[in-house]
Amino acid sequence: MAHEATETPASKDEHHGHGVGRYFLVWGLLLLFTATTVITGRMDLGAANIFIALFIATVKATLVVLFFMHMTEAPGANRLVFVVSLVFSIVLMIGVFGDLWTRNPMTLPSAAPTTEAPERP
Amino acid sequence: MSSSDAHAPNPHLAHHYETIEKQDYAVRLGMWLFLGTEVLLFAGLFLGYTVYRHFYHEAFHEASRHLDLWAGITNTVVLITSSLSVALAYNAIKQGKTKLCAGMLIFTIVCAFTFLAIKGIEYHHKFQEGALPGKWYHYAEVTAPGANLYYTVYFLATGLHAFHVIVGMSILIWILSRVLRGHFSESYYVPVELGGLYWHLVDLVWIFLFPLLYLI
Repeated sequence: MAHEATETPASKDEHHGHGVGRYFLVWGLLLLFTATTVITGRMDLGAANIFIALFIATVKATLVVLFFMHMTEAPGANRLVFVVSLVFSIVLMIGVFGDLWTRNPMTLPSAAPTTEAPERP
Repeated sequence: MSSSDAHAPNPHLAHHYETIEKQDYAVRLGMWLFLGTEVLLFAGLFLGYTVYRHFYHEAFHEASRHLDLWAGITNTVVLITSSLSVALAYNAIKQGKTKLCAGMLIFTIVCAFTFLAIKGIEYHHKFQEGALPGKWYHYAEVTAPGANLYYTVYFLATGLHAFHVIVGMSILIWILSRVLRGHFSESYYVPVELGGLYWHLVDLVWIFLFPLLYLI
């Protein structure tokens, strides 16, 4: 490796990495949040369960994107294309959820008559 | 950059770019665009999951309880740890530490194999029990209507994710071989960075798949 040849003071300054401590801190947080989501996932919290699970997953994903994927240092264009894909995923979901949540319960498959339905006279 | 760079052409610079900075900017932007399309691909799968879960809420809840939670937890820890090691590999090559970078990449690849092995054991159990997708479903323990759709979504989502693990692992093996051949240094490490980004995406998808499949 032509290591010494390229090691000017300027390039050394430019290419210095992060302290590895930050990576281990993010890793520890990710493990902590994983433990939290397993514990809350096994508790019976009714409708809140899915929202807690998605909230924790979003926090974990944000940590990975910001620090492991270095989005904090990415130029604006890179942030834009990634965040726009997330925004359009959310637009897609809002559209479909709007349909699902306003449907008449009779139209859901669970409302279909079963074989145990009372017989017609 | 030192003045010698202006005379000696950079071997990594493609002829259609003026400077290495412009090339690096373009390839990074291209990678993030690709990752954006990956997000949209998995968003479609998550949407399908949500629709069927809404239709068959109880069946999805019951069927999810028949997955091996410990296998899911172990795989989550394995992937998060591999994400750390690939970030450390990038950090190492950025400082010119080739050996540390290679070691971290080897660790990441071992994690990828571990993930696939655990997933394979899980699949094998489900195959034996008959918890198969579509018309092949004959799992006696969960017979509620819609349980079969849960396993269809389960195999599609984890299967597509496992495919990404295999692709990511292959990319990392290729990058490792280039690291070992001394292709990268603190002045050129973009492929290590982009391979790492792909691997982080694999981790990101699993971060959402794990609670949605194992913890509902």
